[in-house]
Amino acid sequence: MRFSGRTDELKKTVIAAVFGFAVGALTMMVYGYDPISAYIALFNGAFGDPYGLSESLTNATPFILTALTFAIGFRGGMFNIGAEGQLYLGALAAVTVSLFRFPSGISFALSIIFAVLAGAAWSLPVAVLKAARGVHEVISTIMLNWISRFLSFYLIAKILVDPLRAEKTISIAESVRFPLLVSGTSLSYGIFVSLFAAIIIYLFLWRTVSGFDIRAMGFNPVAATYAGIDKWKITLIVFITGGFTAGLAGAVHVMGRPPTYAIYSGMPSIQGLGFEGLAVAMIGRNHPIGIIFAAIFFGGLLAGGRMMQLSSQVPLEMVRVVEGIVVLFLAIPELIQVFSFLREIRIPFIFQFKRSQNKHGRR
Amino acid sequence: MNLSYLLGILLGSLHAMVPITLAGTGEVIGESSGLFNIGLEGIILLSAMTGALGAEAGGPIVGLFVGMGTGFVVGLIFGLVCTYSKGVQLIAGVGINLFAAGLVTFWLIHLGVPGHHTIAEEGRMVDISTPFGDFSPMILVAIVFPVVIYLLLFRTKLGLKIRAVGENPQAADVAGIKIHLLRLFSTATGASLAGLAGAYLSIDWIGSVTKELSAGRGFIALATVVFSGLNPLLVLLGGFIFGFFDNLAVWVATMPAVQQIIPWQFVSMAPYVVTLMVAAGVIGRVRFPAAMGVPYERE
Amino acid sequence: MKQIASVMVAIFTVALLVVGLVMTPGTAQAALKGKVALVVDVGGRGDLSFNDMGYKGTDKAAADFGLKMVDIQSVSAADYLPNVRNAARSQSFDLIIAVGFLLTDAVATVAKEYPDQKFMIIDSVVDAPNVMSIVFKENEGSALVGALAAMVAAHYGYPYVGAVLGIEIPVLFHFEAGYRFGIDWGNKAYARKKGTNPSTGLLYTYTGTFSDIAKGKAATQAMLAQRAGLIYNVAGPLGIGDLQAITEAIKAKGKEAGPPFMIGVDANQDWMGDGHRVLASMLKRVDNACYNATEAVVKGTFKGGLTVMGLDVKGVAMSNYPELLTFMEFGIGAGKITKQDKANIVSNWKNMREQVPSWIWNAVADLEKQIISKKISVPNANTLEEMKAVRTKYPLTK
Repeated sequence: MRFSGRTDELKKTVIAAVFGFAVGALTMMVYGYDPISAYIALFNGAFGDPYGLSESLTNATPFILTALTFAIGFRGGMFNIGAEGQLYLGALAAVTVSLFRFPSGISFALSIIFAVLAGAAWSLPVAVLKAARGVHEVISTIMLNWISRFLSFYLIAKILVDPLRAEKTISIAESVRFPLLVSGTSLSYGIFVSLFAAIIIYLFLWRTVSGFDIRAMGFNPVAATYAGIDKWKITLIVFITGGFTAGLAGAVHVMGRPPTYAIYSGMPSIQGLGFEGLAVAMIGRNHPIGIIFAAIFFGGLLAGGRMMQLSSQVPLEMVRVVEGIVVLFLAIPELIQVFSFLREIRIPFIFQFKRSQNKHGRR
Repeated sequence: MNLSYLLGILLGSLHAMVPITLAGTGEVIGESSGLFNIGLEGIILLSAMTGALGAEAGGPIVGLFVGMGTGFVVGLIFGLVCTYSKGVQLIAGVGINLFAAGLVTFWLIHLGVPGHHTIAEEGRMVDISTPFGDFSPMILVAIVFPVVIYLLLFRTKLGLKIRAVGENPQAADVAGIKIHLLRLFSTATGASLAGLAGAYLSIDWIGSVTKELSAGRGFIALATVVFSGLNPLLVLLGGFIFGFFDNLAVWVATMPAVQQIIPWQFVSMAPYVVTLMVAAGVIGRVRFPAAMGVPYERE
Repeated sequence: MKQIASVMVAIFTVALLVVGLVMTPGTAQAALKGKVALVVDVGGRGDLSFNDMGYKGTDKAAADFGLKMVDIQSVSAADYLPNVRNAARSQSFDLIIAVGFLLTDAVATVAKEYPDQKFMIIDSVVDAPNVMSIVFKENEGSALVGALAAMVAAHYGYPYVGAVLGIEIPVLFHFEAGYRFGIDWGNKAYARKKGTNPSTGLLYTYTGTFSDIAKGKAATQAMLAQRAGLIYNVAGPLGIGDLQAITEAIKAKGKEAGPPFMIGVDANQDWMGDGHRVLASMLKRVDNACYNATEAVVKGTFKGGLTVMGLDVKGVAMSNYPELLTFMEFGIGAGKITKQDKANIVSNWKNMREQVPSWIWNAVADLEKQIISKKISVPNANTLEEMKAVRTKYPLTK
């Protein structure tokens, strides 16, 4: 997927967002809700005050990481939708470390390390099956997601269960938790981990040889193989790296998310984070920077949606309707062409220098 | 464990097979023409809702057609976005899933009992009662369709054209085949089968619509399609294998003898493990049409 | 002159206001804000049991006391804390009701942050002066339906009864433990009456979901195939699937009415299945809990602390005629049954119940009395270890 011109992408996102909100408004009106007050509540809830902004960023934290999992795969020409299953195990790995009493610094480090390794471990079979038996990753990731789900149920209920409160696992030890960034909200230092990871992945994909190989393989597998790039090595790297970020997502969530810092039976709090990541990756064009913004957008919709529910009584699910339409419209690369007059709009110079770096001219 | 018990399991498996097989077969048509629709889950859910409403208005057959129609319309939109507008199929599909999930939940809140909607008796499909459970005519439909689609794709000129468009659109274009139109038609038809699967869930098998009715079956269907290498007959087989083990897992988990030995979580894993093993052991490498997933542009 | 007049009017008005305020009864209590928040867990509305009961009770209280109810859904468990906190932050709710133990930590955290905000939580205990915690003795209610199930199964010649559960969580352990005890007691009661112990066995399964209805149907089919006569639904909406399977089994025999029967949960589900397929329901009066809490806030009698609702205060109960009528109104209001159906359902229900010998009903009533008077103590389980102990004590296998 070519990255053709930042400004165009931005304009596209805006147009798609407008359409999305329009459809949402229409649906609301059909059922007798007032879209204006609803959207005001939505916006205020998401970005209107420091509290809202904190909540939006909190939501964005895991999204960034699971989106990266998919994005790395996509850049390599593969379809890694296994973030869901990998993040469950990552979260549980972090919880497992809290079973033991290590000094807090070591515990913290181990929690992260184990989580990351757990995610990668669950991703490894996908790569191996693909290399050895040609099993397409769509099958293996979907199946492994479900297997991970039930395995997690078992671990939560039997092994990691909290002896005093059987509906959840033990909580992450207090000294190992990410401290809150803004008190009175749910935002923790975990957001920095996510941002850091996004930057690392960006550097990895665009500034290292392996990263270049991955992108080359994704862009043109035939040419890449001809140039001597080893397909299976790339496959392994892509899935393992994706597993790292997914496992990290699980860890960051369970170590950073008040009030429980544990996983409940049935995993109601981490379920779906992988799939949301998919949508975030799409909107973020599978680029780490874009993903950060897309994650904040999604996180904002969620946080704002809660306020919208509270003040305008519009159900939270309306947010998903908006998201869906936005994503649908963002699928169209030529969205700008449809509104050719918008092309004439000049965007501030910060985006101009990006354009000059772009090798491909505008079509 | 007697014959009646086994037949009960078998019947339940056949029911579980229907949505996967129908949606999978539909997706085979679409993917053969080159469009990869990940939005199956959303289409199933949406059609379950609309089909339910249709059935309450006009009876089960009407409901099934409304469900198919919903699938067709959504498939059409998806197709338009991905063919003429050269949209990225993956993104569009994800958009459909999100949209459907939100809309159906929203709808459910506004229809009688919020959160779920049970179909009135008149809307339900009439099944044949057997001592082992109900047998639904849709089971036969789910067996016949893959055969029909197989014949369509591999034994007719239309099928040849569809596959050509997926394999080598440039050549097909030169030969005068209307690429976008054919892809549009294939995807819409395929989606209508997914719509039928959804309507079956609400009108026939489960009799109710909830926000999580599809329960991941759309993705299972997708995996089955990949597993089948775009052969509808293998979709039928894959759907049955999955449905069988899925159902078996639930039945077996109720037996006290089994509960002594193996925790229920591991029994529940069985269908997925089996499918993965079959994919790895038996099926192996699958090949997609060369031009699948890429929007077609005339050079 | 005009100025003096204005000043006099002003002073007079103020004096009137002051007098009026002082004379208003209950001035010690702040004026009501007029809104009640109901925060439900991810299961959401539409389970026809637990969450819907919470809605029903709060709705009625809001109507009776002139308040507005705002119901707040959660898409994921990560929403709980923000939802509860947002509600408290808005300072616009007299009471925030949290339905379900999953909301425990959220309520505990926010209750500390907003000590002036009143909360009520169901199925969990939060120790704070501004939180009213209400828990139920589901084990006592389940014991009643367990005894009923065992005796009825024996009466109709079924060797087993069944239970379809959701995910293994402590609340569900209460149900399973009580049910087991009840079955065992029912077997013994049958032995006392008829001379031989039928040893009705228990088939149970945790489906691992509170949302995949197909699993409820499949599990029930499996149990029916193993000759279970009554199936206890302990998985919320899965009851829809359970009832489906039971209905199909009944019709396959060419009949319209059970056995086999379903046993409903939380709400009175007896009216489902045309009134003659659900023999009884284990009522969990979440609606009353919500109503009482709201009433307490309105009347100024709200007190933080723990309330345990067992059989003795009708917090749990086995369904009977009066509730049938109330809940049918609920069903009619939801558009599920019509007024014409109502008479039909009632007569079916009466037939269904009359066909069960009266000594069985008397035995259950007797068990209830003994539990209330504390002669019998129904075992409970809160952890897996405790549940295993109860399973070992009452294996109920054949």
